[in-house]
Amino acid sequence: MSQLTPLFTDEFAEFPLKRALGQVIKKREAGSKVVGAYCSYAPVELVWAMGGVPAVLCAFSNAPIAKAEETLPANLCPLIKSSFGFIELKTCPFFELTDAVVGETTCDGKKKMFELIEKNRPLYVMDLPQCPTNEGAVEYWKHSVTGFKKFLESEFTTTITDSAIEESIQASNIKNSLVEEIFSFGAHQPSVITWQEMYEVATYAMVSSGAETIAKLKEIIASLTERREKGVFTSAENAKRVLITGCPIGGDVLKVLKLVDEEGATIVGLDSCTGLKPYAGRIEERSGDPLLAIAKRYLEIPCACMTPNTGRTDTLQKQVTLLKPDLVIDLVLQSCHTYNVEAVKIESYVRNDLGVNYLKVVTDFSAQDLGQLKTRIGAALEMF
Amino acid sequence: MEGETYEITDRFQAETSIDLASQLRLIKESHTWDSLVSTGYGRHLSQKVLGGEAVTEIKAYATSAHHFYKDIATVIDLGGQDTKVLLINRQNGQLLKFEMNDKCSAGTGKFFEMMAARLGLGLNDLVAAAIKGSNSFEINSTCTVFAESEVISLLTTGISVEDIARAIHESLLKKLVSLLSKMMPTDSSSILFVGGGAKNGALVRFLAEALDKQVIVPEYPDFFGAYGAALLSKNFLNKNKEKK
Repeated sequence: MSQLTPLFTDEFAEFPLKRALGQVIKKREAGSKVVGAYCSYAPVELVWAMGGVPAVLCAFSNAPIAKAEETLPANLCPLIKSSFGFIELKTCPFFELTDAVVGETTCDGKKKMFELIEKNRPLYVMDLPQCPTNEGAVEYWKHSVTGFKKFLESEFTTTITDSAIEESIQASNIKNSLVEEIFSFGAHQPSVITWQEMYEVATYAMVSSGAETIAKLKEIIASLTERREKGVFTSAENAKRVLITGCPIGGDVLKVLKLVDEEGATIVGLDSCTGLKPYAGRIEERSGDPLLAIAKRYLEIPCACMTPNTGRTDTLQKQVTLLKPDLVIDLVLQSCHTYNVEAVKIESYVRNDLGVNYLKVVTDFSAQDLGQLKTRIGAALEMF
Repeated sequence: MEGETYEITDRFQAETSIDLASQLRLIKESHTWDSLVSTGYGRHLSQKVLGGEAVTEIKAYATSAHHFYKDIATVIDLGGQDTKVLLINRQNGQLLKFEMNDKCSAGTGKFFEMMAARLGLGLNDLVAAAIKGSNSFEINSTCTVFAESEVISLLTTGISVEDIARAIHESLLKKLVSLLSKMMPTDSSSILFVGGGAKNGALVRFLAEALDKQVIVPEYPDFFGAYGAALLSKNFLNKNKEKK
């Protein structure tokens, strides 16, 4: 383990959010407009195409929830409460840097929360159709993609040309395939990449673009290849392997992943929106209609808000085949009804179709359930 | 537990305490062992003080259940802090699945403690009252704190303590039955009830009636997890010998 060279050697080692903040500040100082986003459905290619930079807004800390509960009901998803509390307290540095914010109607709580923050920043809400395979869904979603483009153009008095969008589509595809390649190192047994490193890569890539980013991602691939070749492992040889699926993760909810570490197991994949999910697809290049190409790709993101959400099981099947986990942990945030109900199908699919042990964990950002979670995770790992 | 014969040679329960480490140190001074496994919520602290291994109570219960009751597939553990249901493969004793209650105290032994306190009764009195009471109305609140205020308003309407005690039992019973129905194989005629909650004779009877199945309670249901840990320690004893 002592030979392990970190993937990032800058001053932000182990502080992925501070690194991301540094990236955003750098671009902002160079004149870029900052567009805040909460969700993987935000088509960041349009932000890049206008020379802007997307910033993923704070949503994963327990600290601002008490403030949020002065306004919002307590039995709401912690992600929404945290996001709102951060804005009320002005403690999200990303939000403070934004010139505009984009939201999507992924769920009722978020949708109505956006109405409460629109006084703080120019806001565009994209109406996400939730039956993605129904006739006309892609075309309908394209209206929102186009609307977002027009919003950016009018807000920042600029023109986003088709060729600029096409260029950022191609850049995204290159970046996304590199991130996907990095995550695929999770397949190695024993592990050569930790979940903290996967999370660092995902966080870095979200706010970065251009030649420097591509070079950095390639450098990471080279480091991981070297680890694999030299046999430098990040887990014990027989460590049990865990795939994390479900709601977005970050900040205080990483407690679940830390408990997996404490039990001596190794996390081999993060199949969530703050993990591989936003990087797992490609946008059609040179289609002649870049906005439609973007709409198509984004509507394929397998969020539990969709019905049917066959993309989720397809992805899990691929991930399980590649990563060979012993246990799938389905992490559901309290009051996220769609992930919580979808868990019924996911459990049956993972256990019966994929033949892998499964554990659903419903939690929030507080530390109140640490003892119980430790027992649950410990017991699930003892089972085989 | 004697390593060769699996005979229980000593059994004791310490008082609930906020200074678990001191209690453990006392055990270390007064007892000797060849192999030790700690279980339960304090397992990691215990392992730190006493050495040996640590397993979750879920594994401990599964081990104990299959050792003492080979035909049992479903185990329910009602503890002070949480409630668990285990599904075990009857052929090989392997734990197939487990469910736990949500993080709140409704549906756990803590619920009884709080309700008994509200009625001004000891736990045993609450159980005795429930057997005398009739099942005539429901406590609707699923939250312990809300149920407490519901009980207070019931008292003011003149309903008998016996009937309220019965309703308190029925309320918890509903949660146990719902947790159990997810996990019970249709062909099993009995379930095993362990943990401190299994000492509640009224609840055992009501559960058997509600499930229409035999509910087996071991002689010392609150030691059942510890027996499982003791049984598992034998594996580590053998492993230690192999290493030598």
